[in-house]
Order: sequence, then structure tokens, then C-alpha cells
Amino acid sequence: MDCREFCDKHVAFVDDTLPGIELVRMQRHIAECEICAKHDAKIRRALLLFRNLPSIEPSADFAERLEARIKRECSGEHLLVSAQRNLRRGAIAATLASAVMLGYIASTLSRTSSPRDLVMAPVVATLPEPELTPITTSTPAIVTSVSAGLTIWPAAVFAEQAPVRFAHSRLELANYTR
Amino acid sequence: MADIVRKQMVAVEGATVRERLQAMDDSAVVTAFLGGEERAFSELVTRYQTRLLNFVYRTIGDREKAEDLVQEVFIRVYRHLHRFDRSKKFSTWVYTIASNLAKNELRNRSRNPLVLFQTVQKNFQDEDRPLQFEDTTSRPDDMYRKRHLREIVEETVAKLPEHHRNVFVLRELEGKSYEEIAEITDCNLGTVKSRLNRARNSFAEIIAPYVD
Repeated sequence: MDCREFCDKHVAFVDDTLPGIELVRMQRHIAECEICAKHDAKIRRALLLFRNLPSIEPSADFAERLEARIKRECSGEHLLVSAQRNLRRGAIAATLASAVMLGYIASTLSRTSSPRDLVMAPVVATLPEPELTPITTSTPAIVTSVSAGLTIWPAAVFAEQAPVRFAHSRLELANYTR
Repeated sequence: MADIVRKQMVAVEGATVRERLQAMDDSAVVTAFLGGEERAFSELVTRYQTRLLNFVYRTIGDREKAEDLVQEVFIRVYRHLHRFDRSKKFSTWVYTIASNLAKNELRNRSRNPLVLFQTVQKNFQDEDRPLQFEDTTSRPDDMYRKRHLREIVEETVAKLPEHHRNVFVLRELEGKSYEEIAEITDCNLGTVKSRLNRARNSFAEIIAPYVD
């Protein structure tokens, strides 16, 4: 151990809070180093003086004066705090009681009501949809179509322009029969 | 006759409560006070008045003012005890209040040099000081030497920087642990150790010529 380490650990050494191994190392250093031994003795002697200073006592009327001050400055504060605490406890108790009551009412109601039958939605009789008969042509045909790129309503609005716009997209029934 | 018996009963009951309070630890006394037992507060005052007075006195160096500050500590305790976190130590809380009040007092003094001057004057009025250090069987020159030494020690403590002195008094006089001091002074553990080391070194350095 060097002197620097000794100084770093001196607070704990004086307060006897060092682990055993460190304590032995510190003691060994004191035995070897005269400067550190002197420093240690100087600190301990000074502390002894301070710790032995006589204790001072409060004046005889200290408690009386304090009591008078408390009566003057804090009268009712303590009671008020107790009352507030009691009020808070009362409010909590009332809330709990009402919650229990509500729970009881709910369970009683659920017990008394008879189980209801399963009600199905009324069935409305409707005519069966007519089956779509597939268009059968005597001759096979291919229908071509070209997307207009527009929704239906603008197409309807501009119906007059349709022949112009869709000049090259006439629907034709192609017949490949030879 | 019945009245006398009733009074005696009340007295006996009162004594029992006081004895019971004396046997309790701080936490239980605090609980009793919060439960409405006013006598519990007197028990707390009895336990802490001397310790706090010495702590504040060694910190600010003015006995009269120290007593006023300790009264203020107890007033604050009375007012705010319901807010005290009972998972913590009561003594640490009380010392924190006292430490803060002492710090404020020193700060006010440094802002107002007149107050400082008056305080210094008061400290040097030897007639006002209790002569507890003296032993009547001692010779007059021994008595003088002891009184002189006590004054030197007190003056030396007063010379330490405020934050060093606070830590120094809490450790050396009150025997608080490093952790408690850290909590009271609102510092980390490393700072407490470093301040304590410096305070001890400074104190020993200043007082050494008078002791050797």
C-alpha cells in the first residue's frame, strides 16, 4: 500500500468500516510509514477533542415555549388533519358499501329473471330466383370488349360523344364459322 | 371522593401511556401521534430536543438562535407529520429539517453582515456560556486551559466551510452513518466521504498547533 491509497481509505479506517484485509493493510502501512502514522494520530486526536465537547441542554422553559407556540400557531391543525383522514376513510367505506350493494342487486336480478327462449328471426318466404338459362348460340362466338376507362355515369353524360370516342371499339359479333 | 378517585385514575392512566410511549420506537410513537395521541408529540420532543440543539448549535455557532431553530423544527414536524413517509427513518427526516433550517440561517447571515457581527459578539460573551467543561476539583490554571481549549475547538469548527461542517457534525457528534448523512444533506455517498475527509483534515490541521 502506498501513502495515496492510505489517505483515500483513511475515512473508513478511522470509522472502522474497512473490511478485515484492508484494515490489516492499513495498520501495516502505519507501522512502516512514519508520515502516515503521524497524520493518523493527528486526525484521531483532533476528533477526540471535538467528540468530547460538552453537550448543551435546552433552556428550562423550552418545552413550555414550544407548547405555547404550537397552541398559538397550529391550533386545530392536527384535529383538522385527523378529521380529514376520518372523512376520507368514511368516503372509502361508503363507496365500498355501495359497490357491494350494486353487486348484490345485480346478482339478485339475474337470479330471478327466467331464462328466455331463443327467438329466431321470422322467416320470410320468397320466390326462388329464376335460374338463368345460359345463352346458347348455334354458332360459337367471341365477344370482344374495350375498357372505356370511365365510370358509367360520365359515359352516360357524354353519351352523345360516344360514337366519336369509341369509334374504333364497336362491339362485333365475330363469326369464325367457315 | 369519587372525583378524587377519578382524578387519580386519570393520572395513573396518563403515566401508563407515557411509559408505554417511552418504550416504543420512533415509528410507533409517530403512529400514535397520527392516531390522535397528543402526548406522543411530547415524547418525540423529549427524545430529540437535546440532540437537535447540539447539532444546530455546532452548525451555526449561536446558542440562542439554535434554540429558536429547534423550536421551528418541532413546529414543522407537528404540522407536516401526516406527510412523513413512514417507510423511512423519523430521525433522518427530523435532521433533514434541522439541517435545512441551519443552512438557511447561515445563508441569511452571509447576506446580512450585521447579523453575523452580532452573532460573533454574542459568541464571545463568556458569562453567558455554561461552564460544563470545568471540574471544581481542578486547579484554576487547568480550568482556564480547558475552557480555552473548548473555545478553540468551537472556533475551529466554525472555521470549516458550511457544507463540510454539516457533514462533520453529523458524523462526529451525532454518529450518523454515511448513508444517513447522504440523505440528510441530499448528496451522494462519494461526496459525503470526500467532504468528511476534507473536514477532518482541515479541522486537525487548524487545531494541531494548540494541541501539540
